[in-house]
Amino acid sequence: MDYFEVFGLPRILGIDLAVLEKTFHELSRKYHPDYFSTAPPAEKTQAVRMTALLNDAYRTLRHPVRRVEYLLTLYGFKADGSKVPQALLTEVFEINEQLEEVKAGRASVEEIDSLRAQIKEKRERFDAELQEASLRWDELVKSGASEPARKEHLARLAEILSESSYIRNLERDLDKS
Amino acid sequence: MPKIVGIDLGTTNSLVAIVENGAPSVLPGPDGSKLVPSVIYFDGAGQVLVGDRAKEQMVENPKNTIFSIKRFMGKDIQDVREDLPLLPFEVSSESEHVIRLKIFGRDYTPPELSAFILRELKRNAEAALGDEIKNAVITVPAYFNDAQRQATKDAGRIAGLDVLRIVNEPTAASLAYGLDKRKQGTIAVYDFGGGTFDISILKLREGIFEVLSTSGDTHLGGDDIDEILIRLVLGDMGAAPSSPERIPAIRKAVNKAKEDLSAADSSEIIIESLQYRRTITRAEFNKLIERIIERTLKPCRQALQDAGLNPNELDEVVMVGGSTRIPLVRQKVQELFGRVPHTELNPDEVVALGAAVQADILAGGQRDMLLLDVTPLSLGIETMGGVMSKIIPRNSTIPASATEMFTTFIDGQTNVKIHVLQGERELVKDCRSLAQFDLKDIPAMPAGMPRIEVKFLIDADGILSVSAQEQRTGKYQSIEVKPTYGLTDEQVEQMILESFEYAEADIEARLVIEARNEAETVLNATMKGIADEQYANLSDEEKAEITAASKNLRELMKSTNHQTIREGIERLSNATMHLAELIMNTAIAKALKDKRVREIDNE
Repeated sequence: MDYFEVFGLPRILGIDLAVLEKTFHELSRKYHPDYFSTAPPAEKTQAVRMTALLNDAYRTLRHPVRRVEYLLTLYGFKADGSKVPQALLTEVFEINEQLEEVKAGRASVEEIDSLRAQIKEKRERFDAELQEASLRWDELVKSGASEPARKEHLARLAEILSESSYIRNLERDLDKS
Repeated sequence: MPKIVGIDLGTTNSLVAIVENGAPSVLPGPDGSKLVPSVIYFDGAGQVLVGDRAKEQMVENPKNTIFSIKRFMGKDIQDVREDLPLLPFEVSSESEHVIRLKIFGRDYTPPELSAFILRELKRNAEAALGDEIKNAVITVPAYFNDAQRQATKDAGRIAGLDVLRIVNEPTAASLAYGLDKRKQGTIAVYDFGGGTFDISILKLREGIFEVLSTSGDTHLGGDDIDEILIRLVLGDMGAAPSSPERIPAIRKAVNKAKEDLSAADSSEIIIESLQYRRTITRAEFNKLIERIIERTLKPCRQALQDAGLNPNELDEVVMVGGSTRIPLVRQKVQELFGRVPHTELNPDEVVALGAAVQADILAGGQRDMLLLDVTPLSLGIETMGGVMSKIIPRNSTIPASATEMFTTFIDGQTNVKIHVLQGERELVKDCRSLAQFDLKDIPAMPAGMPRIEVKFLIDADGILSVSAQEQRTGKYQSIEVKPTYGLTDEQVEQMILESFEYAEADIEARLVIEARNEAETVLNATMKGIADEQYANLSDEEKAEITAASKNLRELMKSTNHQTIREGIERLSNATMHLAELIMNTAIAKALKDKRVREIDNE
């Protein structure tokens, strides 16, 4: 059973979080090991496994980025956060240089703040792009688009995701230094 | 259904509680007191006292009166080196993976010592209820790691208790809190006890208690405040190096002053045996302990951040644990969260009451409440270059699982080593080593060809188990677990045998009866499974194995060796695993279908 099936959902990215939570609670009430403490070992083990699957599915699907990552793995795509976004090769080069300055302790507070704002702005741009591409995926699924058309879009999603996770890593790097 | 008690195994005090007629209550000991001090006294002639009578011996017999043993659970000697100078106990030289205290020439591990406290609580509960007690829910600090949780479970086993669930203390407190009030909303539980600090943020909704985040420090509590005061007194006494024998008397005196200062503006530290006396005002006290209290605030901020909440989005802050009686604690908490914390609950009893509520849920007495807890620490594995790769992030709802693929690096390699860790830091050396696993008997293939799927599962107790399967052959791999800290199953069984309480009882006979009962349950469940329509979907081999394993178990049940019977149970359980899975999956599919039908009906 994949995570979408656990929740009885088609493989779409627009998920109503309130409904997801409600189903999560309902299914938890059915399968939680707390209700199987006097059951035979095999049933107990199943309850733990099922609840683990349910929890893993909920943790993944309720998060907009993890949800896309998971969808991509179902189709054999992998989002790689170490790939430099081709679209902003030069910009990223500059950001990286500035980041080195910060790490070496040579940057002023103002410079760090400006760098942080710059990265944030780029991340938000990618987030918006990711959201738009997610909606487009749902449309393709709902309109019954052809296999090649879907694959093509998944490849596009994987690319956007790689880029946005690259920026996210930069952001984390900056927060740490 | 046999009775299940809830136990708060505390650093300073322990309690046992049960739900009767729908309401939880603490069961008092024969002397009427609800709190059993977590102190164990050995008289050297074979007698062991627990509780108040042991506490009386702390000053006179410091070396063989053990207290705060909870701080040693799941630890080795390196972990507690800093505390040792102020503790009068003798540590055994064999304390590498598990710390051992030497008492009258015999080594005791923390689980064995905790078992003395658990046995006392078990006896108290049995006397109060007039019934034998075999099953318990035991609470632990939410921030306890895998080894500390396992050590607590081991303690229960050694004490002759079947530990049905390990529950986090702040979560247990929330159950007791939510029970009275039928509260909805988001709450923070600030639990500052004798040895540990926890903060948990929960969402309460229609009987579901969902933990959003938790953080803490398992080595931060009232004991640390006592230590500051002890050092103050030692400083007053001048440069003379004080012998460890003096410490218990000082500890007792400063502890009293600390408690006084929760109500009074000033108190006196009086140690007659050392002709010592000094006044301490609350202002002085506050200045001394401020650093300790500040240390609780960082985990609070972390928990808020992890839950994605601002302080003003909380509906309530609930205070738990004896150290929350300190006025400065209340003041700091109020400042951080911007609201007056809820202090109406008895901070000593609320965790035990909540444990009793959880016990009631497990016993089937309560079906409208459900606790969804989280794992406090990220789980990861060691990858190239000593880097920890996280596979289950902290604050994941448990049970939780993760699957990782492993392969070989050399042609014909049949072994793969896996190092499992817990923690938030990036480097292996900064995380807590949990265990080393050896994947064995991998079919010999060219390098990189085997695909071994390893499944990590954190159960509802927050304890890890691992299983592995080679994907090309479908063969389950054997796994050898070497816990970094803690006892092996064999060691625990040996301790049960050695525990003097059972020296005369026929333990093997008891184990055989237990194993036979379990075999009976498994056989009955198998019969039920065979009658299910899903049975038809099994392969012929699977069906044959179920028949063979059932027959085998019926035969083995006649054995007088519990291990033999257990092996039979395990074989049958494995044989029926796929069937149980099919039955469960159909039930889920049906539940989802029913739900959809209902939703359509509602439209």
